[in-house]
Formats: sequence, structure tokens, C-alpha cells
Amino acid sequence: MRNTEKIPKIVKEPYPHVVVKDFLDEQTLDLVTYALAGLEYDFDESDLFSYLSFGLTDVDHPVINILRDDLGDSSWRKKVASSFGVKPLSKIDLSAYVYGLGSFLLPHDDQVEGRVIAYSLHLTDIEMTDKSGGALCIYEANEVGKSELVKTIIPEYNSLIMFEVSDKSWHQVGEILEDIQRLTVTGWYHS
Amino acid sequence: MNRIFNSSDFPFVRLSKFLDIDSVEYNPSFRNEENIGYFKRKQSKAVLEEFWKSSDFVEFLKEVTGLTLSFRGAKHLSYSAGDYSLLHADELEPNRLAIVYDFTKKWRLEWGGYDLYTSPDKEPLICNRDYGSLMIVKLDKGDLSCTRYVSLKAKEDAVIDFVTYIPE
Repeated sequence: MRNTEKIPKIVKEPYPHVVVKDFLDEQTLDLVTYALAGLEYDFDESDLFSYLSFGLTDVDHPVINILRDDLGDSSWRKKVASSFGVKPLSKIDLSAYVYGLGSFLLPHDDQVEGRVIAYSLHLTDIEMTDKSGGALCIYEANEVGKSELVKTIIPEYNSLIMFEVSDKSWHQVGEILEDIQRLTVTGWYHS
Repeated sequence: MNRIFNSSDFPFVRLSKFLDIDSVEYNPSFRNEENIGYFKRKQSKAVLEEFWKSSDFVEFLKEVTGLTLSFRGAKHLSYSAGDYSLLHADELEPNRLAIVYDFTKKWRLEWGGYDLYTSPDKEPLICNRDYGSLMIVKLDKGDLSCTRYVSLKAKEDAVIDFVTYIPE
């Protein structure tokens, strides 16, 4: 179950985003972490990224079903839509990602038809620092594509990061620089 | 050499120690170049621009590729730690011959920074950094290429002259 029903005030610049801390209750958190540890992840690599992933959207598993509800039930979707001031959100998709040493996701804006709010629930149960890598880097880009790093969010255990998808929502996951496993459940709220 | 060139999905040949690279005067004047989501790197005038334009070299390319070519452009590119280019096509000249001459010293494979050529119907071609080697590759409509992300752990820069020719 969710540990909190409150979404803090949305930060507007450079594009709307927010971090919800302590998102899941302790029992659910333990169950989810245990369930995700037992998955057989696929190694995915392209010019844009390198990581391990496992699609969860259609997985029928008691714990994943609870997690899917916690992230995407009607009540929470209404709160997310209201907080960001967007039209009603119909559904979510979700996948688990593991970033190990050398993994990265280069700058991109997430724009795909139907995606309204991107989210990432952080489940790395060790304290990450800027030396670990793996931070969510938020960029502001001008009209010719020159970027400025305006914010770095170091993932905290059990925190849910959300941001509005638009042509401004440039972000990346910094390269992992230490021998850690950065675990997240990530996806989008759709229109 | 022409038979070797045409023996794979991506017609290519790679020649190591192509020039006496240590005698080349190397003092590029870089400027930062970025289009977020496409590339981030530094660029300057090609170090060997006059050589790439020379009739001797164009004639050499004709012997290797069997193509009559005209010079289209050349630039010197530097990819430092954290730099990248993503897979892209050349919208203006989909059929082209690409030349990469490698000025990269002391490279380690785990730093990435390699050149990748790919296409839906072709076996991908990976070209790791190799100081002083000349890569000649023919790209057709739909073919994509990039220089892959350079790890933040890289202690050197991946530096190349990148030259394009158009078949006549």
C-alpha cells in the first residue's frame, strides 16, 4: 500500500516535476524489492542507453499487482493529474530497470504519443551519492539544442519522481560509476 | 582491395597505420557543438583537410571502392568523457562514402566511443578506436551511424577526421 497520499507542490522550472518521498509502506516495499530481485532481466543496449530491464505492465503477480495499483489506481491518478494540472490520466505502464556499473541513459525528452507524466520509483536500498553516478539529471535546452544542467536528483530509496512530458522535458540518467545496482520501476501515466 | 571492400553488408575497408601520423601537425582549434538528444562533442576544421581534398587521395578511393567520387566535406571531431552522437542518417546525401581517420591515442574498449554503422537489413558494423587507422565505409539510404557515448571514466578523448564523399 501507499505510505502517503500527498503529493508535494510541483516544481515548475525548467519543467514541472516533483519528488514524493516514502511512497510505499514498509511491508509493500519489502515485498516489491524481493519480487523484483527474482526477475530475469534482459540486457538492453542502444546508442541511447545501456541497462537491464523487465516489462511489468502485463505481469500477473500478486506483489506486482499491488505495486501497479499503488502507482496507478484511480485515486492516485486523479491526484497526479490534479497536482500537475493535466487532463485525466487513463492508465500507466511500468517496467523494472537495473543500472549496473557503466549503465547510462543519455538525454531525451520521453515524448511518445499518449505519455503525459513520467514516473520513476527508486528502490535502490543503499545510499547513493553523486560519486555513485545514476542521478536523474534535468536539463534546460534552448531552441538550437544547447543544454544546461539545472538540477541533479540523487535517487533516494522509496522515492517517486514524476515529471510532465513535453518538448522541454530533457533528462538523463547519469552513468553508474560504482559497483552498485540502481533499481527502479519506471513508466508513464497516459492520457 | 576492391573485392575486400565489397565483401560485407556495409562495404568497407580499414587500413591501419595509413599515414605517418606522428609527423602530422596537430593543433585543432575546437569549439563546443551540441544538439541535445542528437550529439554533444567538439568540432574544428579537419586536420588533414587539404589531403582529403587532393586528387591523389580521391583517385586512391576510386581504386579501393570502384566509385568515382566528389569531396563533400570534412571536419575534425573530438568526443570527451560524457560526449556522444546518436544514430542518424544523412538526409541530404543518403548515399555517401564516409572516411574516418583516427587520431585517438591510448584508448580502452570499456570507454565506448566506437563508431557504429547499422541498418534494419544489415549486420551492424562496429569500428573501435585505433590510432592512425583509416576507415572507408559506403553508406546507402536508410543506413545510420553514430559515435557511441564516451564513459565518464575515459582519460583520453576520441578524436577523428570525418570526411564525406558523394558518388558521381
